[in-house]
Amino acid sequence: MNSIIEAINKGIEQSGLDRNKISIPSDIPFEPETVKSLGVDYFQVPRGRAIAFGSGLKLGNPELKIIPVVGDLMTLGGNHFVHGTRRNMELLVLCINSFVYHKVAGKSVPVVTEAFSPYSTFEEPFNFPHLGNSCGAVYTARWTALHTAELAKSIAEALHKRGMSMIEILAPGPSYYRYVTDLDSELLQFYFENSTVKNDEDPRNAAITADGKIIVGKFTDKERATFIDSYNIQHTKILGDAFTPHGSLPEKTGGGNG
Amino acid sequence: MKADPKSVLTGVYYIDGDVAAGYGALAAGCKFVAGYPITPSTEAFEAVCHRGPKVGTVFIQMEDELGSISAILGAAWSGAKTMTITSGPGYSLMQDAIGFGAMLETPFVLLNIQRGGPSTGVPTKTGQADMMQSRWGSHGDYEVIAIAPDSPQEMFDYTVKAFNLAEKYRCPVMIMSDECVGHMTEKVVIPEAEKIDVEPRRLFTGKAADYRPFSPGPDLVPKMAKAGEGLNLYITGVVHNENGHPVADEKYKSACIRRLVDKIRINKDKIIELKEEGIDGADVIVVSYGISSRVAVKGVEMARQKGIKVGTLRLVTVWPFPDDRINELAMKTKAFVVPEINYGQVVYDVARCAHGHASVVLVPHGGAGVHNPADVADAIEFAVNQEKPMEGVHEFKTRLEKSVFEGGFKLKE
Amino acid sequence: MATQRINTNSEIHPMENLLRMDRMPHIWCPTCGIGLAVTAFASALEKANIDPNNVSIVSGIGCTGRVAGYVKVDSFHTTHGRPIAFATGIKVASPKTKVVVFSGDGDLIAIGGNHFIHAARRNIDMLVVCVNNFIYAMTGGQVAPTTPLAAYATTSPYGCVEPPFNIPYLADSSGAVYVARYTALHIRRLTNALTEALNKKGFSVVEVISPCGMYYSRINRLGDGLEMMKFYHDNVEIRHGEDTKNLEIGFQTKIICGKFVDRERPSYMERYNQWLSEVRDSGKRPKGKKGA
Repeated sequence: MNSIIEAINKGIEQSGLDRNKISIPSDIPFEPETVKSLGVDYFQVPRGRAIAFGSGLKLGNPELKIIPVVGDLMTLGGNHFVHGTRRNMELLVLCINSFVYHKVAGKSVPVVTEAFSPYSTFEEPFNFPHLGNSCGAVYTARWTALHTAELAKSIAEALHKRGMSMIEILAPGPSYYRYVTDLDSELLQFYFENSTVKNDEDPRNAAITADGKIIVGKFTDKERATFIDSYNIQHTKILGDAFTPHGSLPEKTGGGNG
Repeated sequence: MKADPKSVLTGVYYIDGDVAAGYGALAAGCKFVAGYPITPSTEAFEAVCHRGPKVGTVFIQMEDELGSISAILGAAWSGAKTMTITSGPGYSLMQDAIGFGAMLETPFVLLNIQRGGPSTGVPTKTGQADMMQSRWGSHGDYEVIAIAPDSPQEMFDYTVKAFNLAEKYRCPVMIMSDECVGHMTEKVVIPEAEKIDVEPRRLFTGKAADYRPFSPGPDLVPKMAKAGEGLNLYITGVVHNENGHPVADEKYKSACIRRLVDKIRINKDKIIELKEEGIDGADVIVVSYGISSRVAVKGVEMARQKGIKVGTLRLVTVWPFPDDRINELAMKTKAFVVPEINYGQVVYDVARCAHGHASVVLVPHGGAGVHNPADVADAIEFAVNQEKPMEGVHEFKTRLEKSVFEGGFKLKE
Repeated sequence: MATQRINTNSEIHPMENLLRMDRMPHIWCPTCGIGLAVTAFASALEKANIDPNNVSIVSGIGCTGRVAGYVKVDSFHTTHGRPIAFATGIKVASPKTKVVVFSGDGDLIAIGGNHFIHAARRNIDMLVVCVNNFIYAMTGGQVAPTTPLAAYATTSPYGCVEPPFNIPYLADSSGAVYVARYTALHIRRLTNALTEALNKKGFSVVEVISPCGMYYSRINRLGDGLEMMKFYHDNVEIRHGEDTKNLEIGFQTKIICGKFVDRERPSYMERYNQWLSEVRDSGKRPKGKKGA
C-alpha cells in the first residue's frame, strides 16, 4: 500500500466515520484491492469530473461523505473545482499534484509526467491552496505524499468540516491514466526533503516556485454555510412549512455565509 | 407502484411543453435536477426550480452542462431519480457523460428541446437535427431510448414514461422534443397520483457479500445499488467484469458492451410505441415524429382530398427504431414520405428498413420553422405517382427550398 | 502609429469609424449598461493609440456576447464559454495581434470559468472585459455565479442560495497581472482603466458592473436604469490597491471599485520563447517576437 492510500486509510480511521458512508469519486484509477482495503464506495469517473459527480452524490444523499480525488491538475476539472468551492459543497477534495519543480543538472525545471512533456514544460502550476482559499474553501492544506502522518491528520480533520475542504498532495507519478499507487520514489524523497512546514501561512505566499522550498502545512480552517445549509435556510425562510429541509440542518442555524 | 401524491400537481393547466415536462419529472418521482440555462429549454428547468422545493425535489444550477450531467449521474448513484435539461450546444457538451452513464448503466432522463444548429444556430427557433446525435452521439457502442412527444400533454405523459423506462432498462432515456412543442401552450391534464404508474428503482436487496453490480438478470438488466449501503462499490467507466472491476480483455469487452446493446434490442418490442392511423390499404405512409407529425396531419388531409389513400405512422419512440414494422409495411405500401426538420436523418433508417420495396421520400426543412403542409401533400402525390419504387432516398424539393435557392446558393433577397 | 479614428465632424456619429453602424440599432434594452462599456472601450482603443486593424475582439454568448458584432475590428462571436480559449488560439498563433475578450459574467465565469483561470495562470497576453450584470439576461433572468446571495432570479425563485464569485479575487489568485473594477457609471475611470489594460502585457481583467433593467432590476424590484445608476453613484467607493479578498458584492451592498492589481509576470509567449530557445538547437528561431 502506498503512502497516499495509507494516509487516506489512516485519516478515515482517525475521523471515526463509518466507512460505508464514504464515497470516493476519482479520475485516477484505484486498484480493486485498494478500494476493498479502504472499505468505501468508489467511482472512477471521466477525467476532471470527480467534483461534479461528487456534488451529485452529496445532493442525492446528504448523509454521505464524499472524497473526490482529482489527479488532472484541474485542467479539465478546474471549473468544477472553483464553482464547487464557491458553493461550499460539502466535499473533501484531494488534489494530487504531480507538477513540481525539480533540480535537474543543477537547474530548476518544472516536472510533469514525462509522457506529456518530454522536454519538461514552461507553464507555471496553480497555487491550489490560494485558488481554493480565494473561492471560499473552508479548509486548505498541502502535504507531500511522504508526510503521511500529517496528511492523515489533515484528512481526519477535514472530514469533520462542513463545507469544501481541499488538500493538495504533492506526488510525482499518479495521473489520470496511471494507478494511484504508481509513485516515483526518488522524486518523492526530493519533494519531502525540499519542503518546509509553515502552518497558518497565508496561502497567497505558498506558490510552488522554481526556487525556494515547497511550503506545506494547513493554511485555511474557517466556517461558512454549506450549499445544503444555504439551500435549506433560504427556502425555509421564504416557503416556511411548505419546504422540507434536505438532509440534516447544521447545529446552529441562521449563520448565513460568513 | 403509484406516484407519490405529494409530487403530483393534479389539475387542469394551460402551460407550455417545457413546463409540462418539468411537472412530469416531479410526478415521476424525480428527486434531483441539475441544469444550466439554455434557450429554448430553460422554462422546464425554471418550472422545477419553482415547484421542486415544495415537493422535495432538489435543484442546482451547475456551472456548465458538463457539470449538470456529471452531477445527475452522481445523484443517480446515491439513489435519486434524476434528470437534466438542455438544448443545442449543451446537448453536444453532454455527449461524453452520456456514454459514461450508459457504461455505468445509470438510469437518467435527458430532456433535449431541439433548436436550430449547428453551433449556436438559431437558439429561439425549432429544429429536429439532433436525432442521429441522440443515437450515436457518444463514442463507442451503446443503445438509448429516445422519445419524441408532439404536444404539451405528451410532454407530461412521456416524461413520466421516460423515467419509468430509464429505471426499467437502466439506460439513458432522451426526450427529443423541439422548440415548437417546448414553447407550445395547450391544455394539460395532470391526473391524480393513483392514476400515474411509476417504476421503482430495481435495487439489490440481498447480502452485501453476494452483490455483483453488473451481473445481469433474465432481461439482461442488472440490479442497481446506491452508495453508502456498505456494498464497497467499485464502479468504473472502463470496460468491466460483473464485479465492476476493470478488465481490458476482448472477451470481457464483448460481454460488457454486448449487454449494453442487447438489453435494449431484445426488449425493443416492449419499448417501442407507435401511433398508426389509416395504415390498412394505404398507398403512401407518412412517417413522422415530434412537431413534424402535427404539421403532417394537415398535409395528409390535403392529399386525401385529392383521393390518395394515405396512412400515418408516428414514431413516439424514435430509438430503438421499429425496423420490423417498417419492413412489414414496405411490402404493403408504395411509398413512405418522411417530413423532418433536417436534411435527412431518420429517413435513412426508414430507407434501410424499406429494403427497396417502397419509395422513400424525404421532405426536408432547414430549421427555424416548420413544414408547409402543402409540401407534404405534394410529396405524397409525387410518391404515389411513381411507377416503381425509387432507389435510395429521394429528396423532395419544397417550396421554401425552391424559392430561396433557385439558381444556386445565392439567396434571393 | 494609429490614425485618428474618432470623428469630430458633427454630421456623423463620432464613433462611426470604430463601430459597425450598419448593424445599428443594437439589440440591447434601454437602460442596459453594455453600450456604455462599448463606448468606453472604443474611446480606450483611441486613447491607447492602438491600430484597430491589429485588434481582434472575441465574444461568447449572451447579451455582452453581442459586443463583437458591433465593434469595427476583427470580430469573432464564438460559442458559449469559449471566447478565452478561442482568443488564446489567436494570441499564440499570431503573437502580434492585440486580443480582447469582451463577454459577460455567465459566459466567462460560469461555463468559461476554467478557461478564465487557466488563461490567467498561463498569463496569456490579452485583455478580458467582463461585463457583470449579476444575471443571465439573454436567456431571461436565470441565476448566475455572480448573483448575490438571496437575490431573486427565475432559477432561484426563492432567493439565490449560492454566494457569488468575487471576480477580481478569482482573477488575482489565478495569476492575472492587471485587475480593475468599475461600474457603467464610471465612464471616465473605466476608459482610463481599459486604456491602461490595453497597454499592459499579460492577462488583464476589467470587470464592468452593469445595470440590467430588464431582468435583474425588474425581478428584484430595484427600479429602472436611472435608479440603478443613482445606486452606483451613492454606493460605490473607489479604493485603489484594495486587497482583492475584500471585494465581495452582496445584494444591494456597497461596491468597491478601483484598480486592485498591477504587477509584472512573464507572459505565456515569453516563457514559451525562453523554453523553446533552451530546448531547441540555438540556430532555430523562437516563435513570435521576443517579449511579445
